[in-house]
Order: sequence, then structure tokens, then C-alpha cells
Amino acid sequence: MRKLFIILGFITSIIAVVFAVTPLSNLAVAPGLMALVCGLVVLFYSKKQVKSRKVIQYIFLLTIIALTITIYKAVFNTAEVGDIQKFEETEKVSEEEAIEDLEGLNLDDIELD
Amino acid sequence: MQRYLLFMLSFVVTSISFSQNNTIAAGEKLTFSASYNMSGLLTEIAEVTMETSEVKTSKTTLLKLKCKATTYSKWDGFFKIRDLYESYVNPNTLTPYLYKRDINEGSYYKFMQYKFNHRTKTVESIKRKKKKIGGTYDVNSTVQIGADTKDIVTTIYHIRNLDIHETNIGDSQSFKVLFDNQEETIYVKYLGKETISTRLGKKECYKLAISMNNSILKGNNANVLWLTADQNKVPVYATFKIAVGNGALSIKSASGLKH
Repeated sequence: MRKLFIILGFITSIIAVVFAVTPLSNLAVAPGLMALVCGLVVLFYSKKQVKSRKVIQYIFLLTIIALTITIYKAVFNTAEVGDIQKFEETEKVSEEEAIEDLEGLNLDDIELD
Repeated sequence: MQRYLLFMLSFVVTSISFSQNNTIAAGEKLTFSASYNMSGLLTEIAEVTMETSEVKTSKTTLLKLKCKATTYSKWDGFFKIRDLYESYVNPNTLTPYLYKRDINEGSYYKFMQYKFNHRTKTVESIKRKKKKIGGTYDVNSTVQIGADTKDIVTTIYHIRNLDIHETNIGDSQSFKVLFDNQEETIYVKYLGKETISTRLGKKECYKLAISMNNSILKGNNANVLWLTADQNKVPVYATFKIAVGNGALSIKSASGLKH
């Protein structure tokens, strides 16, 4: 059982680190919390079976790194729109084409005054 | 998924087709941040803007209603969205004449155009998609519509033009929207007033539940729109639930309001 939770702890903590360094950093929270739980379970079994606790440190270290990066990104990273120059050109062209189309429509029922 | 996200703009539906426009003026710009629920946390993924402007033709002046969605730069590498929705409407009645939808989501591209003919109750539709071997192809069709059927963008603005203050809590109304050449029915239910915190400050809002008779919007009262309870009826917050998750739209800024 201890081994199972060590493996689970490592897998989830590594997943958390991977997510944390990508734009999907918010997804690191769930595996990060799972890794912490696994670490605590391993700690419990290690105490009970009087075995080494060194491995728990690695799980916790990876998890703390992942959660720290995630929290840092959530607090300090501001969302900004990227390059939209081409998109703005598309908008201009679209309006020009729309005006041409509108010229061909029957808009007699518009009463502006 | 993001395709549905933008559909969230459809969180708004229309009322009587030829009611007078007392709410929307040219020069208005609303900016929103669209968030998606990831691992229980709302993550900002795109900026959504709603703008109005005047467009002059040789015969008349129309009101252009424009909605666009742009992913934030950090998402562009994963899934770049550049969606543009436009509707050219009568400035007095918000009756649509021309609707254009230009969707660019990752490798997915789609263009739709509707030319409304309200006399014959028909829409000339053009659908343009990418060919697998490169280039694009067009599908032209004529669609019969009802007297009150509108496009999605016009509908968004129409709901702001509703006389919600005259509505009773629990009142519901259905509306017809033309989307992907199909007439969809959208139901709007007034849930009452609620004061919420927004980036524009605390606002007393009309709370409206939106539902559809297709499979896009999920949940019972999970798709909710908050409009400020004033003459501008600015959409300040919306929550949505779709097949692949849920999220929210929250206002970042508003300028050029009529009142």
C-alpha cells in the first residue's frame, strides 16, 4: 500500500509541475492536492511500518514547486491579447464588403427621421 | 469548446421585433473577459468585445453591431481564437439586414453570411468552409424565417432593449434565432433583481436565465445573464454551462453608453 501511494504521489506531483509551467497552470491544483494527500498517506504508513521518509520529501518538494508556480502565475500574470493586427485588417475588409452588400439590398423600409 | 464559448454571447435574446431602440447608441464599447472553469478555478482565456458604430451607405445610415472574441496571448500557441460576429441593423428598430460570422478557432474556419429580406421572410445564406485539400468552398442557400427571427448578434442587443422593469419575476418568453441556418428557440426567464460586484463597481442587476431547445446550453438555470437595472442594461456578468464544462463572462470596461 505504501508503494502504491509513493507511485501515485510521484505521478501526480510530476503532472502538477508539468501543468504549472504551461499556460494550463490552473490545472495543476487538482494533481497538486492529490500529491499532497498521497504524501500524507505515505507519511502515515512510513511511521506505522517504521520506514524511510525521504521519498515523502521529494513528493512534497515537487508539489510545493508546482503550487508556488501556479499561485505566482494566478496572482502576477495579467491576461493580454496577443497580435491582432491581421484580425483588425480582417475587420476592415469585412466592413468594406458589408457596405458593398448593403448597397445591393432593399433598405427602403428604414425610416431614420 | 471555444466555439461554444463564444456562443455564450447568445446569452441574450430578443423581444418584439420592431420595438424602438431606446438603449443602444453608436460608439458604445463593452469589453469582457471570458473565463473557463479549469480544475475548479476560473481561468481567463479570451477577451470578448461588443462594439457599435454607424455605417453609411449611399442610401442610409445603419448601426453596426460587432462582437469579437480574441484569446489571450498565452493561449494563442494552444488554441488561437479570432472570432468576428457582425450585424448591420436599422438604428431605430434594431432590425437586422446583414449578418456576418467569421470564425477562426485553431485550424477550424467557418464563415456565415445572412442577407435578410423581411418582406419575403427569407434569408440568403452563404456558408464558407475550408477544404481538406486547401482553399475554401461556398454553400449558398435560402432559408425561410419567421417574422421575429433574428441573428444572434442582433438578439444580444435586443434583450438589452427589453422593458424588463415591466416584467414579473418568473415570467418567461421564447425567441427565434437563426444560427447555422437553423431557427433555434431560446427561452429567457426573469429571475429577479440582484446586486453584484463587478469591475465597474456594485451594480443592481436584472437576473435572466437563458435556455435553449437544443443541446448547446446545459443545466437548469445554469446559464444566467446579469444586466444592469438601469436604462443602459449593460450585460455585466454571465455564467454558462455547456457540454464540455462551464465558465463566465465578466465585464472589464464600458464606454460610450447612451444614458
